[in-house]
Order: sequence, then C-alpha cells, then structure tokens
Amino acid sequence: MILVWLAEAALFVLIVAGILAERPLTLAAVALAIVIAGALLRLVTPLRSTLARAFGRHRTAALLGGAALALVLPVTLRSSPYWTFVATLALLYVTTGQGLNLQIGTAGVINLAGAAFAGLGGYSVGLLTVKTGWPPWLAAAVAPWVAVAVGTLLFVPILKTRGHYLALVTIAFVFIFNILMNNLEFTGGPQGIKNIPTLRLGGHAFTARLTLFGVDLPAHANFYYAALATAGLTTWILGRLHDSWLGLALNTLRDDEIAARCCGVSLTREKLIAFSIGNFFIGLGGALYAVMVGFVSPPDFDFGYSLIMLSVIIIGGVDSIGGVVLGACLLLPLPERFRFLHEYRLLLYGLVIVVMLLYRPRGLWPAGIRGYR
Amino acid sequence: MSLLEVKGLTVRFGGLVALDRVDVAVDRGETLGVIGPNGSGKTTLFNALTGLYAAVSGEIKFLERSLSGLEAHTIARRGIARTFQSSRLCRELSVFDNILIGMHAHRRTGLLDSILRRGRLRSEMRQAVERAAHLLSLFNGELPGRGFERVGQLPQIDRRRVEICRALASRPRLLLLDEPSAGMNPEETAELMTDLQIVREEMPGLSVIIIEHDMFVIEGVSQRVVAFNYGRKIAEGSFAAVAAHDEVRAAYLGRESVRA
Repeated sequence: MILVWLAEAALFVLIVAGILAERPLTLAAVALAIVIAGALLRLVTPLRSTLARAFGRHRTAALLGGAALALVLPVTLRSSPYWTFVATLALLYVTTGQGLNLQIGTAGVINLAGAAFAGLGGYSVGLLTVKTGWPPWLAAAVAPWVAVAVGTLLFVPILKTRGHYLALVTIAFVFIFNILMNNLEFTGGPQGIKNIPTLRLGGHAFTARLTLFGVDLPAHANFYYAALATAGLTTWILGRLHDSWLGLALNTLRDDEIAARCCGVSLTREKLIAFSIGNFFIGLGGALYAVMVGFVSPPDFDFGYSLIMLSVIIIGGVDSIGGVVLGACLLLPLPERFRFLHEYRLLLYGLVIVVMLLYRPRGLWPAGIRGYR
Repeated sequence: MSLLEVKGLTVRFGGLVALDRVDVAVDRGETLGVIGPNGSGKTTLFNALTGLYAAVSGEIKFLERSLSGLEAHTIARRGIARTFQSSRLCRELSVFDNILIGMHAHRRTGLLDSILRRGRLRSEMRQAVERAAHLLSLFNGELPGRGFERVGQLPQIDRRRVEICRALASRPRLLLLDEPSAGMNPEETAELMTDLQIVREEMPGLSVIIIEHDMFVIEGVSQRVVAFNYGRKIAEGSFAAVAAHDEVRAAYLGRESVRA
C-alpha cells in the first residue's frame, strides 16, 4: 500500500516539477528524470511487476491516493493561474473524452462531431443565461440534454451508415454546426456569446479567489474543483456502465453486428443508448467550458477540437476508462509546455497519433478484460 | 405438433431465387440434417429463419407463432440460436464475455442497477459466469480455467465450442448449426460429434438443425435429413433414403448426359 502511494507521489512530483520548471536547466533535469523513470520501468522487469501487482492488489488505496493528489494539485500550482486553467481544461477533456469513448471505443460509433456536441452544450448555456436570464447552474444542467436531443435527430442517418461513411456524416455535422453558429443572428454570429455569468456556490462567485484552509488559490481553482468533481463522477459512471450488460452488448455490436443481433441484442436500442449517454457527457463538458471562460464562439468548437478529443482516446486507449483519464492528462498540458514551437506544436498532435497508431494501437493504457468482481 | 414449420419459403436476391417454395418442419427434440452442394440455399435458409434475410413469400411458424417480418434480435429472444459457418466470435473479448452475450436477452438488471445498485448486477454477473463455466466444462474441462483469456488465443476446435456455448447460453428451443466441422481435420470432427452428443444428452428437449458437408456427421447425429439443390428441397427422409435418392446423387456427383 505504501508502495502504491510512493509511486503516485513520485509521479506527481515529476509532473508538477515538469510544469513549474522555468529555467531551461531545471526543465532539462526534470525531463531527464522522467526519461530515467520511464526507462527503469520499461527495462527493469521486477520493478515493473512489483508495481503492477501492488496497484492490482490495492485498488482502493491507489484511487484514494490519486484523488488526494488531484485535490492538492491547485495548491502546488497556485503561483500560476494559467497552469491551473490548463489542468482544468484537461479535466473537462476527461468528461468529454469518457462520453466520446463510450461511442467510439465501446460501441464503435465513429463520432467525429464531438466538437459540435460540446458546442451544443456551450451555446445552450450561453443562450439560456444571456438571452433568457436562467441561472448558470440550471443552464449548465439543462444544456447536456440539448446535445442529447439533437443527437437523437442525427441518430437516423447514423444508424444507416457504418465505418467511413458514418465518420463522414458526423464530420458533415460539425461543419453544419459551425456554419450555422457563424451565420445565425441569435447565436451572435462570428462574435459568439459574451458575458456568460459565472457559477456561484453559496454566495461565493467562481471568478473570485478561493481560500481553502488558509491557502490562497487563484480563481481558476474554483473551476478546477468543479471540473474535478464532474470528471470523477463521469469516470465513475462510465466505468460502471462499461463493466455491465451495456458495455458487453456494445463491444459485441462493435466487433460483430450480426452475431450480436442473433444473440438477441437490439442494434437500434443499444446504439441509441450509447450515443445519447455519450452526447450527454460531451455536452456537459462543453457547458462547463462555457461557464468557465464566460464566452463561446464558433472557433471554440470547430473540427480541430473533435480531433483533439479523438486523440485523447487513441493515446489513452480505445475503450479504456483509465486510458481516457491518462490521455486527457497527457495530451492537454503537454502542447502547452511546447508553446515555444508556436503553431507547429499542433503538428505534435498529428505526429503523436501516427506514432501511437503504428506502435501502440491499443493506447498507453489498453482496455482490460472484464473481471466481474 | 412441430416446433418449427416452414411453408413455401421463398427468398430472392434480384433475379436469383435462393430459396424456392421450401417446406421444412422440425419436431421438439429432433435433430434435422441439411445437406446439399455449395450454393444450394442451406445457409440462406438459416439466414431467413433468424431474420437476417427477408422472405419474399412463405410462412415461418415457430412455437405456433409467425416469425414473418420480425427483426433478428426478436427472433433470437423467441428461442432460436445459431452458430455461423465461419466463426463470428469477438476475438478481442474474453471467452466468458463471448458466452455472456448469449444471456443478454435474459438479463434482469438495467442501466440504473449497473450504476447505483451494483450488488445486484454483480451477483447476476457471477451467476452468469458460473453458468458459462458450466457450459464450457461440458465440452472441455480445461476451458473454464481459460474463461478470462481473449477468445482469439484458443485453438480452432475450442473456439467452435465457445460459439456453441454462446448459442446454448440463451436457453434456445431451436439450435441452428451451420457447418460446425468446417475447417476441421478428421480427429477434430470426431471430437465435434462427441460434443454434439453431449448437447443432446444435456438438453433432450432441444431441437437442432445442422448443415454439414461431412456425411459421417450427418449420419451420426441426425434423425431426419433434407437435401437442397438450387434453392429447392429435393429429398427428405432417413439418411439412408436421402443418400440413395437419385436427385441427391445427381446433385453431388453429376448426371450422366445421355446423347441422343
């Protein structure tokens, strides 16, 4: 148990040091430490198997340790509101990534319209709060249902197409969404919707600095904790759904539709459930994004973001609940570290995905086998 | 009263008549063998029975209810299970998962149970895994121990067994076996015949329709045989009678052409 916590703490220190290191020399030292740690794990088999066994045996302890460190993270990052914001963004991608993973990874419904469904969540919050004056928390609670409802309409063409054609249908939908948002008057056109009111909790506005146990934290820490709670809850729910009849039926449909139907699995019903639950969480991520930045516009939800969501899944591990968390936590902060490369850092995404698909097609944390324990 | 009654079943693909006014009946507990050359309509019959193909005309009655126009999953829930000519297992999923999907239609826990009342789901799943292990153990005592391995790692004969277990897992009334010995050597085929015998003994009330090219299998397991050629039923009766039938011999061996 101690071993598990030690390993987690070491990883945490490396990550925080990697984020906060300013001078090139410290940064190089941290990078070197990460490379050495990785090489040790890769090359020293007894170390790896001991760790794997420890994590396998003390699951609850590992989860508690991870949760504790996630709670402490804003404290270690308090000197930098920017990195708190990036960490929050990563957590939002955990939420959307889990939703999308249910569709793409578990059910094999290649949905490349993730950005559009997140956008539906975000724009719904914007419209409901700014135009009709709903309280932001209510708007954020209703917005995911808008994504579900629109998704149900889109489900008819989705059910009739497979594979590449399905991907094309969903790509078309992202562009339709973007063109509509750019041109419709009531969504603000290219200007988007500004001044979305922020969340409040018992009189405490999320845009005010947060003081916890005497520690003064930047305002973004409010959203960090909200996003952490949402991501945790989403991961918990989707983890349970994955290890249930639904996950099993979706996996079978993904691998062999005919066999699944001949076993009594209703294609329409199960796929609609997966698509709707997925869109709910994608929309929820978009809604939280809107209340966090207080502003939505078409470029926030263009096709590129669909690809980032997809990359999160591919890098973490298709159909893997833990993989989505890992993928989001790696893929969102890393490019920020490489900002000195300017726009070229987006090339990194492409490069990373190509390398992953070639050498680790199952991702960094491949999906396991259901144990039914 | 027969369990399954097919009358005048016709399936057409464009201009091709794949099944031409076929009548077939199966009694409770009976095993019916289906033979015929490649492309004679045997698998088409299975696909029509399981709702994968739509019939142009004709009537399929199962348990005295019509199956016409029903979707594949509804027919499966009525009690018809099948295997496929080339394996249709999910190679990436575990052996147990591949069998458990057969029990999907009988599940008692829903989405909310899966999230909030985990105990119910867990105990249901544990029972399901136990039953899957029991089905596997009928055929091979070592298979239950490999239940949590990916099914792609099993040898061919065991994969065929898993497919039969998946079909049996749904507690069917009628089991359709589509050329179970395909791609097997003589020893494996002999094992397969023992397996089918075991199924018979375990589930005496189960009716089976088996498509086979291996005449020893057909002779060994079926009580009655029907022969197909060009989508038509050309003979029906005991194995000996069908095997001796002129048209059947002609379909398999060809007819001597008589020059005038």
